[in-house]
Amino acid sequence: MNSLLKVDKLSKNFGDLEVLKDINLEVTEGEVICIIGPSGSGKSTLLRCINQLEFQSGGNIYYKDKNICHKNHDLREYREEVGMVFQNFNLFPMKTVLSNIMLAPVLTKKKPKDVARKKALELLKKVGLSEKAHVMPSTLSGGQQQRVAIARALAMEPNVLLFDEPTSALDPELVGGVLEVLHNLANEGMTMILVTHEMKFAREVSDRVIFMADGYIVEEGKPEEIFTNPKNERTKTFLARIVGDDNI
Amino acid sequence: MDLSFLNVLFPMLLRGFKVTLAISIFGILIGFVLGCVSGYALQCKNTFAKVIANVYIWIVRSTPIIVQALYVYFVIPKITGIDLNSNTAGIIVIFLNSGAFIAEIVRGALEGIDPGQKEAGLSLGLTPFQTLLHVIVPPAFRSMLPALFNQFIISVKDTAILSIIVVNEITKQIQNYAALSFNTIQAYTAGAVFYMIIISVLIIIQKQVERRIKG
Repeated sequence: MNSLLKVDKLSKNFGDLEVLKDINLEVTEGEVICIIGPSGSGKSTLLRCINQLEFQSGGNIYYKDKNICHKNHDLREYREEVGMVFQNFNLFPMKTVLSNIMLAPVLTKKKPKDVARKKALELLKKVGLSEKAHVMPSTLSGGQQQRVAIARALAMEPNVLLFDEPTSALDPELVGGVLEVLHNLANEGMTMILVTHEMKFAREVSDRVIFMADGYIVEEGKPEEIFTNPKNERTKTFLARIVGDDNI
Repeated sequence: MDLSFLNVLFPMLLRGFKVTLAISIFGILIGFVLGCVSGYALQCKNTFAKVIANVYIWIVRSTPIIVQALYVYFVIPKITGIDLNSNTAGIIVIFLNSGAFIAEIVRGALEGIDPGQKEAGLSLGLTPFQTLLHVIVPPAFRSMLPALFNQFIISVKDTAILSIIVVNEITKQIQNYAALSFNTIQAYTAGAVFYMIIISVLIIIQKQVERRIKG
């Protein structure tokens, strides 16, 4: 399998604080990777570096063998192919659901409005929100907003989707709908990197689980290995606490 | 009550109104553009632009508008050799003054937008300019409307100060009438009522615009 995305010796400091240390990661096409770990371990920062919303302090990131950290690299084009879904959805509050989804394809890919519209409606159907096309985001529940945000990211037809704790801001009863959409995407072969606290989901859906702590990738492997037979003490402690809560 | 004094005063007020209106419109329009540019500069990463905007705003905020009017009308022509008629000087005073206050309104509105909005725009492949225009500006504009209209109203009333540099706007006309007729009570009362009518119209427009934008 070809490596689609490669993170090479990545580090990130915020002032004196080292948030990421020597991160190495390869993602192949169609792979679903879940990043787990305690708060403050650098999971979200890693994802934000991959999307270049934060710039690394050291190391490089390669997408399709091109170094996207190089200052001449066109980040805009890269972001068209590597989309991101945020914890707080970040929908555009003054645009309808449909306009939220259509905005980027029309502006960046110069898609005719009717084509973009048709695609947007298809995507809304896919995330189970066909009837919400013309409402404003503020009238939707958190779970519905997140599904719109996913549809909006999908409208760009990305090769890779990054999810930064997509269910963390949701009421527990709304998590299911979002996870179902993510589940379907994984089954369709979308390459995904998810930062998540949903251990059951990580176990069922991911091809690989990465455990991060203190800015390092402490352990990675197939979900069965990580969840049933973690090697590292940190992973063991973390999972013991979570399993206690979650009963996976 | 004898309203016959209006036969003389009202045409004068109308003449003044035309001048007030023209100076207000040009002054506020240019001031709005200047304010948007300076407000953006205040919160951007370019240090040079930031310093320029800060100095401009500091000068305007730390001097009374009456001093600014006298300076533009009497000093600038002496320094530059460019002859300014009083109406042009009036427009310059209003746009320089309103621009500085609008800049602070714009800065506040831009800074009030959740940074996640910008990130969402960029992560969708929009350019920084497209993100600003399509993602940041619409909600920022909505949030600054009340303060913006407030500044428009202040600027319209500030035109009264221009009477000191012989701009024949409403207040100047009232003063002229009072000086000619000695009817100070009628002159200044009619003048005040006239301003109240103009500002009331502005307030009605503000309510309409805000209602429409809120949807």
